[in-house]
Amino acid sequence: MKFGTRFTTAAIVAAGLSATAFLPNSADARDLTIVGFGGGYQDSAREHLFEPFEASSGIAVSDDVYNGEMAKVYGMVEAGDVTYDIIMVEAPELVRGCEDGVFAPLDYSVIDKTKFIETAVHECGVGAAGWGVVVFYDKARHAEGPTNLQEFWDTEKFPGKRSLRTGPKITLEVALMADGVAAADVYDVLSTPEGVDRAFAKLDEIKDDIVWWKSGAQPLQFVGSGEVDYAFGYTGRIIRAMGEGADYDMNWNTLFYSVDYWAAVEGSPMAEQAMQMIDYITDAGPLKNQTDVWPSSPANKEINMDPEIQAKNPGMVLNHSDTGLFLNTEFWIANGDDLEARFTSWAAQ
Amino acid sequence: MSGKSKTSWLLVAPLLILVCVGFIIPIGYTLIKSIKNPEVTAALPRTTAALESWSFDGENAPPEAVFEALIADIEQGDRGRNYGSMTRRLNFEESGARSTMMKARRIADKIKAPYAVSLPQTVPEFGDGNIWQLIKQNSNPYTARYLLRAIDLRVTTDGSIVSVPADQAIFVDLFQRTFVISIWVTILCIVLGYPTAFWMSTLSDRAAGYVMLLVLIPFWTSILVRTTAWFILLQREGPINAALLGAGLVDEPLRMIFTRFAVYIAMVHVLLPFFILPLYGVMKRLGMEYVKAAASLGAPPWRQFVTVYLPLSMPGVAAGAVIVFMLSVGFYITPALVGGLQDQMVSYYIAFYANQTINLGMASSLAVLLLLFTAVTIAIVKKLLPETGRGIRA
Repeated sequence: MKFGTRFTTAAIVAAGLSATAFLPNSADARDLTIVGFGGGYQDSAREHLFEPFEASSGIAVSDDVYNGEMAKVYGMVEAGDVTYDIIMVEAPELVRGCEDGVFAPLDYSVIDKTKFIETAVHECGVGAAGWGVVVFYDKARHAEGPTNLQEFWDTEKFPGKRSLRTGPKITLEVALMADGVAAADVYDVLSTPEGVDRAFAKLDEIKDDIVWWKSGAQPLQFVGSGEVDYAFGYTGRIIRAMGEGADYDMNWNTLFYSVDYWAAVEGSPMAEQAMQMIDYITDAGPLKNQTDVWPSSPANKEINMDPEIQAKNPGMVLNHSDTGLFLNTEFWIANGDDLEARFTSWAAQ
Repeated sequence: MSGKSKTSWLLVAPLLILVCVGFIIPIGYTLIKSIKNPEVTAALPRTTAALESWSFDGENAPPEAVFEALIADIEQGDRGRNYGSMTRRLNFEESGARSTMMKARRIADKIKAPYAVSLPQTVPEFGDGNIWQLIKQNSNPYTARYLLRAIDLRVTTDGSIVSVPADQAIFVDLFQRTFVISIWVTILCIVLGYPTAFWMSTLSDRAAGYVMLLVLIPFWTSILVRTTAWFILLQREGPINAALLGAGLVDEPLRMIFTRFAVYIAMVHVLLPFFILPLYGVMKRLGMEYVKAAASLGAPPWRQFVTVYLPLSMPGVAAGAVIVFMLSVGFYITPALVGGLQDQMVSYYIAFYANQTINLGMASSLAVLLLLFTAVTIAIVKKLLPETGRGIRA
């Protein structure tokens, strides 16, 4: 009998222990979690933004990587089990997430609004860094390559595979400009059904030669391995690869760019710390150190205007606005769903 | 309940719980999710209630009471989560609905009654009955619209069911493609696996053990690793192209990666063990007495095979083929890695809707239809091969 009681007690204790193992971690048990798109940018941010914040504030920070899928974030906010505190998002996702109550309004008594470039301050997010894609190719494989979008389309002069980012955003703008639409008119044209048809018709011309990429590392793998001849890739990654010895050619007049934002996830148990961190990682001091190791283009006025950094770091996309097309956030919020459906259907056929 | 049956219940209890938790509940949840439609009513309870007594005449907006209900819903709502889901739900039916509803929310506290006048002044869409009809139509707790969309159909504001525009249609093709790929993969597995299994069954136990190891080693390797290996082998400057170029068989590298060909190769490689193993089991137990009997009665080798051996081994073929077919219908990672966007199967779009566009209704509907079509296919195959069941009992 004695054994029986003891056994029961042990079983109850064991059950209790294993049950706690399944419970979500309590708020203060976990690190402040910041999530980005990974790659060399995030490596440099970890070293020069996240870790210094950890050291100066005493708040433990860990970072995670995602590919821009918002479902997980929406899911955690709806379930009330928020494990991401700060997340890097593209502009349309920021605006939608803010409207949908998935991102929390930022506390501008903690975050200094005045340090950002114009347009990089939003109710739920502040500019992290400019990003852009340009056409690049491997000069070791091709002595000459496309220097503009028309030539990117010219499969007679430059036969071979092309690689573009999966999805309608950027792709449709690229197609229209390759078809001769001026940068200033792209969104006017794309706002009409005829304009959308025109973009898809232009894409049809080279559809069989396109390899679609999803993550930023892919175009560099494709071009590096010779799988693809000419590709659009993120400027930071291309410049970094060139710095590591790759003989690539990239053309700034094929630039399509925008700004990524830091947003705070609604319902985060560490919202206060998140605000402190957002303020810290957008400050000129830490950002300056980051630009030493990564060709990033922070949305911070002081860094962006600093002639010394500009000279050292010619790859800052926000300083190439004269040759590039700035992606229209409003347009993609209004038309994204529709064009996504159309693109998906078109690409699958 | 006798002690004995209690014990037997206790013994099967873990299995029952596992089946419930791991199988029945998730499938039931998916089924329900594909027809559930709570978003609009949750965000606009007053508006949908007020709209019940209104009927759309094809043109005019509802009376002031409905406008007041909408403004009240916006002002009483939470910080947007329900409202956001509702706008996504409506935008899925009618593009542009999201921005219309968002505009209404932005100006709700800036306009004054009568709202039937002031709201359309800023957001003209509300002066028209269509947006209201859209809200009314989507306020039922259950809907067939996701399932309809999964076969390229949609419901218009007057309630009729029509095909979606050709440039947005995708799913009928997608299901066809998924089944065509799966059937070909199954056929290729039969063609490659049958002789292999037969040869293995004729070997000595020791030799068969070694060959079995060759079949099993890839089987133990993760799908992701095997698929990535194919990516490396098939790429333009990969070993296969290098060998072909070196041997002078081709002048320029063949395009293999990101094609249907690559999908077939990688899928057959991953799935072949699932065909060989059950068939080998059947062949091993078969024994050659019946074949010898046929030979002694004067049947030539081909006849021994066709009339005796093949029917006897058929249960193994059927079992292997069904397993391969069912697995390939749900394939995701292999086509995603080695195929192009034209080679993706249903699972790719289930993941797309679940992760990318946050449309669980659509993801569930595709999953439900995939389950249904697969079940029907298996049922048809079972009907077509009734005698195999009898054939085994020798």
